[in-house]
Amino acid sequence: MTRLDAFFERYARRVARRTGRRSFLAALGGALVGVGALPLLPVARAAAAGSSARVPVPDEHMEGPEGDPKSCEYWRHCAIDGSACACCGGSAIACPPGTEVSPVTWVGTCRNPSDGKDYLISYNDCCGKQVCGRCMCNRNEGERPEYHWYRNNDINWCAGASSQVYNCSIAVVIGQASEAQPEK
Amino acid sequence: MRAAFGFGTGLFLLCIAMGSQAEDRNRENYLLHCSGCHLSEGVGVPGTTPSLRALAPILAAPGGREYLGRVPGVVQAPLSDAELAELLNWVLLTMSDAPADPPYSETEIGSLRAKPIRDTVAAREALFSN
Repeated sequence: MTRLDAFFERYARRVARRTGRRSFLAALGGALVGVGALPLLPVARAAAAGSSARVPVPDEHMEGPEGDPKSCEYWRHCAIDGSACACCGGSAIACPPGTEVSPVTWVGTCRNPSDGKDYLISYNDCCGKQVCGRCMCNRNEGERPEYHWYRNNDINWCAGASSQVYNCSIAVVIGQASEAQPEK
Repeated sequence: MRAAFGFGTGLFLLCIAMGSQAEDRNRENYLLHCSGCHLSEGVGVPGTTPSLRALAPILAAPGGREYLGRVPGVVQAPLSDAELAELLNWVLLTMSDAPADPPYSETEIGSLRAKPIRDTVAAREALFSN
C-alpha cells in the first residue's frame, strides 16, 4: 500500500513540476476560442445554410386581426390543399417539431380581409414523421391545373425533401402583391 | 432659374419613384414566379434547382446569353416578354452582380423563349465544354 502511495505521489509531483495552472488555462482558453470559431468555418456555414435557407423569409407587416390559423376559413388558406400546421404542433409559419420544410414549393396570393390587401403566400409543405390528417382544408383560389405545376397545390412538394411523407402545410407571407392571382 | 431648379428636382424625384416602382415590380414577379424553386434569395436547392447567385460565368460563356433566355423557368413564366426581360435583367444584376450588357430587350426575350431548350443539363455542360 505504501509503495502504491509512493508511486502516485511521485507521479503527481512529476505532473505538477512539468505542468502549471497557466498551461491548463492556456489550453482551456484555446479550446473555448476554437469551439467559438467553429461556426465561422465554411463547412459549418454551408451546413447551416442548407437547412435555414429553405425556410421562406417572412415579410409580415399586416394590420388588423389575424384570424384563426387552425380554421379552413383563415385568410392565408385561400389556396391550401392539406392539413393546417397550426393543428399539427406547428403554426401558420412554422413546421411541427421533427418535420422538415419542403425545399421547393409554390407561391400564390390571398386577400387579407383586415386591410383589404393582397399578399404573396408561400405554401411550404412540412415533411416527415407521419401524415397529420387534422384540420384538412381544400381551397383552390388562384391555384392552377397541374400542367402549371409551379402554381399547383395537388403536387406533393415533399418530393424534394429527405422524407416524402406529407405532414402538413404552412402559409408564410413573403411580401405584398399588387394584384390577386391569377393575373387578369 | 428657380423654375429650372424646381423642374430638375421634380424630374430627379420622379426618376427615383420610377426606379422604386420597377424594383417592387421585379421583386414581386420574382417571388411569385421564381422563388418557389429558386428560393427567396435565389440560392437554389443543390441537386434540384440551380442557384441564381453565380450566373456571371454562364452569361460570359459563348452562347450563355442565349441559354439564359431559353431555360424552362424563363420560357414558362406567365409574364409578358417585356416583364420577363426586365425581370431577367434584375436577377442578373441583383443576385449575380452580373448586369447583361446590353440589357435583354423585349424583342430578344420574345425570340429566345420561342426556342425552348430540350435538354437543359446537356446544354449547360456544352456551354463550358469548348
